[in-house]
Amino acid sequence: MPEFRKILIANRGEIALRIVRACKELGIATVAVYSEADRSALHVLEADEAYQLGPSPATESYLRSDLILEVARRADADAVHPGYGFVSENADFAEACERAGTKFIGPPSSAMRALGSKTRARQAADAAGMPRTPGSTRGLSSLEEAYAVAEEIRYPVMLKAAAGGGGKGMRAVARREDLKASFESAQSEALRAFGSDEVYLEKLVERPRHIEVQVLADEHGNAVYLGERECSVQRRHQKVIEEAPSPVVSADLRKRMGEAAVRLAQSQGYTNAGTVEFLVDEEQNFHFLEMNTRLQVEHPVTELVTGLDLVHLQIRIAQGERLPLKQEDVGMRGHAIECRVYAEDPDNGFFPSPGRITRLLQPGGPGIREDCGIYEGWVVPMEYDPMLSKLVAYAATRELAIARMLRALDEYVIGGIRTNLGLFRRILNEPNFRAGRIDTGYLDRLLAGGSNERQPEDTGGTIATIAAALFEAKRAAPPQAPQAIATSGWKSAARREGLRG
Amino acid sequence: MKFNLEIDGQIRTVELEPRERDGQYRATINGELVEFEARLMRPGVLLLFLGGRSHRVVREDNAPAGNGNGSAVMVGGRRYPYRVEDPRSLKARRAHGGGADGPRSIKASMPGRVVRVLAARGEEVEAQQGVVVIEAMKMQNELKSPKAGRVAEIRVAAGDTVAAGDVLAVVE
Repeated sequence: MPEFRKILIANRGEIALRIVRACKELGIATVAVYSEADRSALHVLEADEAYQLGPSPATESYLRSDLILEVARRADADAVHPGYGFVSENADFAEACERAGTKFIGPPSSAMRALGSKTRARQAADAAGMPRTPGSTRGLSSLEEAYAVAEEIRYPVMLKAAAGGGGKGMRAVARREDLKASFESAQSEALRAFGSDEVYLEKLVERPRHIEVQVLADEHGNAVYLGERECSVQRRHQKVIEEAPSPVVSADLRKRMGEAAVRLAQSQGYTNAGTVEFLVDEEQNFHFLEMNTRLQVEHPVTELVTGLDLVHLQIRIAQGERLPLKQEDVGMRGHAIECRVYAEDPDNGFFPSPGRITRLLQPGGPGIREDCGIYEGWVVPMEYDPMLSKLVAYAATRELAIARMLRALDEYVIGGIRTNLGLFRRILNEPNFRAGRIDTGYLDRLLAGGSNERQPEDTGGTIATIAAALFEAKRAAPPQAPQAIATSGWKSAARREGLRG
Repeated sequence: MKFNLEIDGQIRTVELEPRERDGQYRATINGELVEFEARLMRPGVLLLFLGGRSHRVVREDNAPAGNGNGSAVMVGGRRYPYRVEDPRSLKARRAHGGGADGPRSIKASMPGRVVRVLAARGEEVEAQQGVVVIEAMKMQNELKSPKAGRVAEIRVAAGDTVAAGDVLAVVE
């Protein structure tokens, strides 16, 4: 069995660092790649070797599969780990790796192609006998076909781009009169975003939960599922909080979803880690949504409840090892919650907030994991996704995990840029979230309802006023060498002011 | 030492008076007396003891512009933007009722790249009409005119990189 000596990590940010750490733990050397803007990024500093790919825009660096393979060859890396995003779901890249004899840590390109398009994945789901939402399994050839499918499955319906993701090229259509305009705009949006205007129709599931199943398959025909993740807290189709297990999935439902997910993976010759996403309706029926052929952002919650290291397992599977466990060995214990910390301003329409991190106080203590790609003094570049870190809390029960997360959020300070840390406090204290009554529209409804954050007449205002005055007094004072007792600056400044006036 | 602070939208007068023991203070906030102890944990991070409770406060320096002079303190996860008021300018501002007259600038609320300029110099614009579009982290942000008037200056062009607080255009 070939053991990897060196792995190239074709990604940046927290996930690149996550993979670097796993490689170090397995005694494998690491190669980082980076763009101009990421010269001093944490993943570059922590890897054994680092090569610049190109200028800052992702299209000229992290998306350049040719350059990445060239670096792999130059650095003599045995394998490439793509992380998530960028080239991770690019079947052409996986195929190029296969041809170059560099192991792609992920599924074979053939399985990626079969599952990468949502329409082809729906066909695969049918073949594997997996329940899916009613609707078309091929791109709609005309508006007439769209009308016909919609009549058959009844409104409300959903238009989706076959190559889609992140809510782009997606339209909910409630009535026949709206179908024409939505069909045309979904097509043009899909064409702009993905270079393909293939659009299909499915029945809209009302108030669905987004629940996904982690699968793991080796290259010897063995596969297991590692339970589910509940990802219903989303803002505009982007996940914000994920947890494992789901507060509503019973052991029986978990088994049925898990077995269906494994069946789909095996029917396509899938190997390595993958995630099958489902919509679960109010009657607990599950419908196949899509398969993500890579490691997910939210994989840590599964790691915490199963006690497994998914990146270690990905590497071992890619080395040709057999799965070290059978389905009956997979247990889920306790509860894990993840918050995706973004550089964005919740008070200002969630606009991105890149810039220098002037202060970073990181949480710690029992049951807290922070997967993070930032450090104090680093400038968060404006070119990429605004995710800064993932804060994960693990405890025996969901209630305790929420309490632990709130405690960690209080410890967490990121200064200099705006972040969504305050939003998590609000969600985690919100009665519906605490009761587990969530669906994919939950957060958008909460935000549309306005802020209830400022309700109690706050002592914070007094504290803030005092602190602001002290900071300003210190700023007004002349710098003192060595500032052993830091308050003395304020004191002397105040005295001088007092004498003067 | 006396300050007029506009904090979280409210004007507060604060008088700070250090006491004998180092780090102990007496403050008068809008006439109300508060006693507390303060320690600087590290630059920009302050520990306050007040009424038997401890509070950690973090100062945000070089915060993105768009809120007064851009200072803020964070208490228990909540952010309080503030500015130090000169009593005279305060009076002047009140007398003017916010200053809808005179030229107003449109500033970048975040660092980014200019994608499009929607108005030309000399053009008449409505209040809230988009003037410049900047992009950061795959999101576009349309910056709008704060008032109806004529575009006196456009200081950027498509493709330019801007920092938070940069003046992009002036409307008079």
